[in-house]
Formats: sequence, C-alpha cells, structure tokens
Amino acid sequence: MKEKENKIGKVVLWIVLIAVAAIQLFPLIWLVDFSLGSSNEMFTNGLLIIPEKIRWDNYVKAFVDGNFLHYLRNSILINTLAVILVVIISIMAAFACQRMKWKLNGFVSTLLVLGMMIPIHATLLPNYKIYSALHLTDTVWALLIPYVAFSMPQGMFLMTGFIQALPKELEEAAVMDGCGIYRIVFQIVTPLLKPSIATVAIMTFLNNWNEFMMASTYLSTPTWKTLPFSVLEFTGEYSSNYAVQFAVMALTAAPAVIVYVILNKHITKGVAMGAVKG
Amino acid sequence: MKKLYSNKPVIFSLVLPGILVFLFAVLAPICLSVYYGFTDYSGMGEAHLVGFDNYVKLVHDSAFGRSLLNSLFLAIGFICIQHPIAIIVAAVLDKLQGKAEGVFRCIYFIPNVISVAVIAYLWKFIYNPDFGLLNNVLSAFGYQGKINWLSQQNAIWSVLVVLIWHGFGWGMLIYYTGIKNIDPVLYEAASIDGAGWWTTFFRITLPLMKPVIQINVTMAIISALKQMETVYLLTNGGPNNSTQFAANYLYQQAFKAFKYGYGNAIGVVFIIICILATVTLNTIFRDKQKA
Repeated sequence: MKEKENKIGKVVLWIVLIAVAAIQLFPLIWLVDFSLGSSNEMFTNGLLIIPEKIRWDNYVKAFVDGNFLHYLRNSILINTLAVILVVIISIMAAFACQRMKWKLNGFVSTLLVLGMMIPIHATLLPNYKIYSALHLTDTVWALLIPYVAFSMPQGMFLMTGFIQALPKELEEAAVMDGCGIYRIVFQIVTPLLKPSIATVAIMTFLNNWNEFMMASTYLSTPTWKTLPFSVLEFTGEYSSNYAVQFAVMALTAAPAVIVYVILNKHITKGVAMGAVKG
Repeated sequence: MKKLYSNKPVIFSLVLPGILVFLFAVLAPICLSVYYGFTDYSGMGEAHLVGFDNYVKLVHDSAFGRSLLNSLFLAIGFICIQHPIAIIVAAVLDKLQGKAEGVFRCIYFIPNVISVAVIAYLWKFIYNPDFGLLNNVLSAFGYQGKINWLSQQNAIWSVLVVLIWHGFGWGMLIYYTGIKNIDPVLYEAASIDGAGWWTTFFRITLPLMKPVIQINVTMAIISALKQMETVYLLTNGGPNNSTQFAANYLYQQAFKAFKYGYGNAIGVVFIIICILATVTLNTIFRDKQKA
C-alpha cells in the first residue's frame, strides 16, 4: 500500500516538474524553430514547423544587419567596467563604514544603501537633462554612471554583511606587521572576499546586461548602444520578414543563455546568496 | 591599530567614490526632479514656476490612478499565482535527487537571463491573433476563434502572464534556497511520525519558510510598483491606459506629450510611493518576526 502510494507520488512529482519546464521552455523552442524557416511558413496551424529548408541565412542577416558583434562588444565592455567599479567602490566604502572608527559611519552606510529604494526609471528624466547639459549623452559615461550608481547600493549592502563576518585577527596581525589601510583593504581583505565578489558581480551583471531603458534615453547614435538594440532597431528594418526577426531575437538571447547554462551552478549560488540577503 | 583605523583622510578617501556616485547619480537627479515638478517646462524653451499645479492635476489624473491600481493588480497576481506555484515546485524539486534536480533548476531560470527586449517582442508574436502561438495552441485543442490577447479587457492579464513567466525562475530559486536551508532532521522526524507529503509541507516547510516568503513578497510588491520595461515594449501602456504603470506614464508625459514638468512631478510622487512601500513592508515584517 505504502509502496503504491510512493509510486503515484513519484509520477505526480515528475508531471509537475515537466509541465512547468515545458511552459518555461516552449516559447523559446518555438522562437528557435520559426527562426529557421521562412516567413510564409509561420501561417500554419501546427504548433511547430519542420522547415522545408533550414534557412541559416536568417541568422546571417541577423548577425550582419543587426550589428550583433558591435553591440555585443559594447555590452561586454560596459558591463565589465560596471562590475569592476561596483566591486571596488563597495568594498572600499563597506570597509570604511564597517571596520573603521568614525562618527558618521552608520549614516553614510545607510545613505549609500538607501539608493536601493529609489526607482531607477524616475531618474530617467532629470538624468537626461543633466547628461545633456554636461555633454555626456552618447558617451560611455551615460551608461556607466547610472549602471554603477544603481548596482552600488546592493553591492554595498552585501559587502557590509560579508566584511562583518570576517575575523578581525588577520587585520590585527597585518597592522602589527606595519601594513597601511590601503594594503589591508586590497591585499588582505579583498582576497578573502572572493565568493562575495562573485555574488556582487553576478547580481550586477544580471541587473545591467539586459538594460535598455536608460540606453535608449541617453544614447541616440549606435556608438555605445548595447545588445538589446539589435532587437529594438532591427524590427523596423525587417518589419515584414518575421523569420529574420525571430533569428535576431534568438541571437540576442544566446550569449546570456549560453553563459548561464555553462556557469549555472555558480550563478544559482550567487543569486541565492545575494537575493536572500538583499 | 586604533590610530590607524580612525585616520580621517584615509576614511574620507575610501568612501569618497561611493558618495560621489550617490550625489551625482541619485541625489542630484531627485533634486532636479523636485524643481522641475514645480514648473510647466515642456522640454524646450523656458520653465515657469507654477507652484503645486502639477500635483493638484496629478490627484485628478485617472491614468495615474490606473497605474497604481495596475501595480496592485500585478502584486496580487504575483503573490496569488506565481508564488504558490513557485513554492510547490521548489518543494518538489528539493525531493528530487541527483542530476535531474540541477537540470530542472537550470531550465526554470533560463527565461530570467534573457533581455526584456527579446521577451517583449517574443510575446508580442505569441499573442499575435493571426499566427501567434497562443491561438495555435487553442486551435490544437479545438477552439476556432481568434482571440485578441492585447485588447483593452485582456491586455493587463496578458502582461501579468508574461511577467509571471519571465520572473518565475527567480522566485522559485529563492524559495528553493530557503527549503534547502531547512534542517533535514525535521523531515526525518516527521516521516518517523508517519506524516505524508502534504502534512510535512504545511506543518514544516511553510512555517519555516516564513522569512523567505516575506522577502519574496516584499520584492514582488516593489517590482510590481517599478514595472516599466516589459510594458513599454509590449503595450506601451495601452490600449487606452489599461496597462499603464507609473514609470511608463511619466516617461510618456515627458518625452511624448512634452509635459516634462508634469512628468517630473509624477516622478517625485512615484519615488515617495516606492520609499513608503519599502519602509512599510519592512516594518510590518520586522514587527511580526519579533512577535
């Protein structure tokens, strides 16, 4: 009796998991499937198609006309810089607020974390004015500054928690040996924070990699535009060629999905650590 | 040690970059918004101070009211639909051992790493009345009508579905982490006492997950308030403001309707609402935890 119940339970368990997986994945399978056909084949009644001829040239068009490489390069460059800056700035500030002795440490720490509550999109209008006045629109700074600013509070919050958990003895020993503060921060504390740095880096990347609202507000020329723009700008050009549009969407999604699948264990861990604390 | 750790110039140099970023990218724009919120600035020409006119207008603006109601609708949708499924899936996944556990966890999170730009366009195609996936699925089940998923009645539900689909992995992952942190000894004890799956779930898993549920609920409400990007591309607030959200509305007012001053007034109110919501939720949950 008990065994039978167990078996039924197992079956139900698998059905639930597979059903949810199907819902999560099917739209993406549909996307890739239709991206390999021709536009006329979309008007079928079936759910998926078997393309008469697999049209890789859809992807060639998407790759070339979607400016894929250029936008990918920008995305990688801007996001890497943002991650490095967020990590360095938040380690420095968190160390100063958490470990060092001064009156305003609590106040500054709260102030910097407070940014988490501010909705990014409310700053789109005033920031546009500020960047125009300072001639920062269409430069890399127009993306880098807000990306750093809106990931820093979370980075600061996480780093404060992680630094708090470090034992003080190491620093005390370093002071005995005559280390200055800067060496303590960058040569003693930072290496100990490696897993935490990974968490902050992953959260920052996830926050900013797919961002396009600020990019489309502050940038008008393609010089610094990022990956989402291959989709945003492409749809007008090929408005009637749906299959090529599908190809450009699949292509744009590909880098993040591939990196995620390869690093999924680390990313999952990082997100779990970051989100539960944040 | 003490002297070294209270060296003012060193402290200053360490916090300076953070403070500069905060002043320039967070505080300055907010101050500028407060100023422009009191003007009739259109985006070009001169700005005239008009006192509280914009705010008075905002109180009577039905589109803004609709935006807030839509955020409430999304929040309720997340909490009543997405989260129960996410908790159950997380609990089921936890029972699974071995490779399959990792594979499923990975699959559920994939939509989350894809850009909203792709997601919004993809779902536009899925909702397409002529060749969209959704109507094709219905016709596979024998329904022959062509439903317009983005019509005034349906659009807000369609937006909710996209957001639930896109964010599911995130919510699931956090619940999953919470469940993994539960001491397995408790499950063993329950199983010795003869408790079934449902009893264990309701008596052990759910009560111990309370702090995680509180975090997730807070995040759901805040993200419902801050919603903009998906709606901007999927419906742009339409038809007829039926899927309007505060962030999208202020953007439209400033850059499409050339009411830059009014847009900033919306921004100021929007920031206040977000701060109040965060503080209120944190206070409620903190008090409960103490009690």
